[in-house]
Amino acid sequence: MNRREALRNLAIITGGIILVPSCNFSQEEVLVAYDNLSIKPSQAELLASIADTIIPATDTKGAADISVQDFILVMVNDCMEQDAQETFTQGLNDFESFSKNAGGKAFLKQERGTRERVITQGMSLEDEDNLHISEFLQITKRMTIQGFMASEYMMTEVRPYSLIPGTYNGEVLISNIDKESING
Amino acid sequence: MANLNIKSKQERTFEAIVIGSGISGGWAAKELCDKGVKTLVLERGKDVQHIKDYPTTNLLPFEFDHRGQMPLNDQKENPIANRCYAYREDAAHFFVKDKEHPYVQDSPFDWIRGYQVGGKSLLWARQVQRISDLDFEGPARDGFAVDWPIRYKDLAPWYSHVEKFAGISGNKDGLPELPDGEFLPAYDLNIVEKYFKEQLKKNYGNDRHMIVARCAHISGNAERFQEQGRAQCQNRNLCQRGCPFGGYFSSNSSTLPWAARTGNLTMRPDAVVHSIIYDEEKGKATGVKIIDAHTQEMEEFYAEVIFVNAAALNTNLILLNSTSGRFPDGLGNDNGLMGKYVAFHNYRAGITADYEGHLDYTTTGGRPTTGYFPRFRNLYKQETDFLRGYAAGFTANRQPYSDQRGIGAALKESLLNPDQYGPWRIGSHMMGETIPKESSYVALDTKEKDKWGMPLLRIKMDYDENDEKMIHDYHEQMTEMFEKAGFKNIKTRDDHRAPGLDIHEMGGVRMGHDPKTSLLNKHNQLHAVKNVYVTDGACMTSTATQNPSLTYMALAARAVDHAVKDRKMS
Repeated sequence: MNRREALRNLAIITGGIILVPSCNFSQEEVLVAYDNLSIKPSQAELLASIADTIIPATDTKGAADISVQDFILVMVNDCMEQDAQETFTQGLNDFESFSKNAGGKAFLKQERGTRERVITQGMSLEDEDNLHISEFLQITKRMTIQGFMASEYMMTEVRPYSLIPGTYNGEVLISNIDKESING
Repeated sequence: MANLNIKSKQERTFEAIVIGSGISGGWAAKELCDKGVKTLVLERGKDVQHIKDYPTTNLLPFEFDHRGQMPLNDQKENPIANRCYAYREDAAHFFVKDKEHPYVQDSPFDWIRGYQVGGKSLLWARQVQRISDLDFEGPARDGFAVDWPIRYKDLAPWYSHVEKFAGISGNKDGLPELPDGEFLPAYDLNIVEKYFKEQLKKNYGNDRHMIVARCAHISGNAERFQEQGRAQCQNRNLCQRGCPFGGYFSSNSSTLPWAARTGNLTMRPDAVVHSIIYDEEKGKATGVKIIDAHTQEMEEFYAEVIFVNAAALNTNLILLNSTSGRFPDGLGNDNGLMGKYVAFHNYRAGITADYEGHLDYTTTGGRPTTGYFPRFRNLYKQETDFLRGYAAGFTANRQPYSDQRGIGAALKESLLNPDQYGPWRIGSHMMGETIPKESSYVALDTKEKDKWGMPLLRIKMDYDENDEKMIHDYHEQMTEMFEKAGFKNIKTRDDHRAPGLDIHEMGGVRMGHDPKTSLLNKHNQLHAVKNVYVTDGACMTSTATQNPSLTYMALAARAVDHAVKDRKMS
């Protein structure tokens, strides 16, 4: 059984939240699923909220409805270099205080419009002290798009993906294309 | 299939042994079994049964934890495997991991291997172009390597034989440099690829051609393949996972199950071949010594004829490790040339461009092949300051994408409705012939051994001045052809990859007329040990520019025919 399977099973047993056993109950525990990162449940919640601001629920589900934050954390944990991981976690750590300054209160308590403005503003930060916040948000946006578009929900319910894309046609008028079939 | 928990010599004796179950070993096994020969196939890797052992074949993109991307720890543990384009989350289990099977790089060489039943035939790019006399005559005309002991007419009927069974899609293009074969319906070039083809005709007359590449896919007449249990290719382009339809040719879907149904096949996976046993009194090979991959126990199997199809470099390793009083430097290696004159295909160069024409059009569906330039340099005479030439791939693509600016509901709406097209994206990559040289070699390391006690292979082959000139010419000529076709934003690239990523390593046990300068005769028999045949990439005298697997298959079928006729006469 690999780590991922072990965690899946653990997640089933514990109802999704896995905490590191520790004698210090004064602090929030980190999520052990992401062993290269140090992510607390409240940070995962914040990340979910950022992702959901990037891709909100409309007539279809939004990023938080399908837990895109889990995909983002898996990718950052497993596929990114250590320095990029550090940028990501520092950006996540510092985002809340940036958000309070820019949006007047905690991100989770902001209206959607304010959240969008805060994230857009955060993405354009260029000064050296805040560059990691901008980079964190860029990574989060990229991974939110990837995780959402290649999610089970999208690929089965919204834009069904077919393993069999059909016969090749090398001369198709764009004006005749069915826009619903984006997943080949 | 037989239970191999056997002890007696009689039970370990067969009429033929095939070492390796990849694309050429599968063919040797199928032909032998079809001719009634009791055959043992030895495979160093695990068993992979068609369909049953393709664990990822029907997984959807979201079922891969990293959506196909290899995790960083795997990239760091296996830098060589990770450089292969097909080493992704859906097929990584079919590739050799770097640390499990080390080798020594006397020059940088990315050795991509697939140790399992079916070998790399599960993973190959399925491009199958015939070699012509313009290639077979190359070494003699241009004065390198040695003369091939065969010509196109010797191999043509065997190309036909294997093409009919494997299922090859293509057009009869009527080009002497790329002989036509037994083709199933061709896949289409798209509107811009056709435009480029016309432009070549207009600008270069009949001197340069771009065709749809011949590929080993069942593109039609599928009823002919029902007997093999294979069905029409569904254009999934997920071939490297193993195909549940048997739409492309592999040992697993085609030759091996066919051979098994004759009742003449015994498969022995997890059998690391140590050496071929040579009997000095009889003056021939009598069997094969193996090491069980799991128990490390040594076991011997015996046969009258032995086919070595371990994949080019491992075939060299086995033969070099098969030492005896008569052959202290490797089986059949009287002239000391075994392991030398290895070569590869030069894939370093590429080119991209945009095309702003036919903007009303795009493509839909899938296609398992691409466009292909047969070699046009130095075809009939020496024209350039380098020897030989290159083939090239060619594609034009146009896929819709989304505007991904901004965030929120507008971004989501855009993602769900990709309607941006941009220009057609044009791409080509080079497949250059390289010259086999005595200084290019594989050899056994005298100290280091792997965990089965086999000496590590040392590998040295590198680019030379001829290759550099060829890259320059490819860039120059493709740029010219692209400019004449009105393509814009033309960008050439040289990725400086190490040899090996082409996965077309060849030679070391080359064919030739003369036992003094070659290892194999025109029937692929070792000159000095006639009951040992080598019909994988190791036998190649020169590399040509074509994807070589089809030639190995044809040579294997032809050699079996010879072996069986020879045996009946004696």
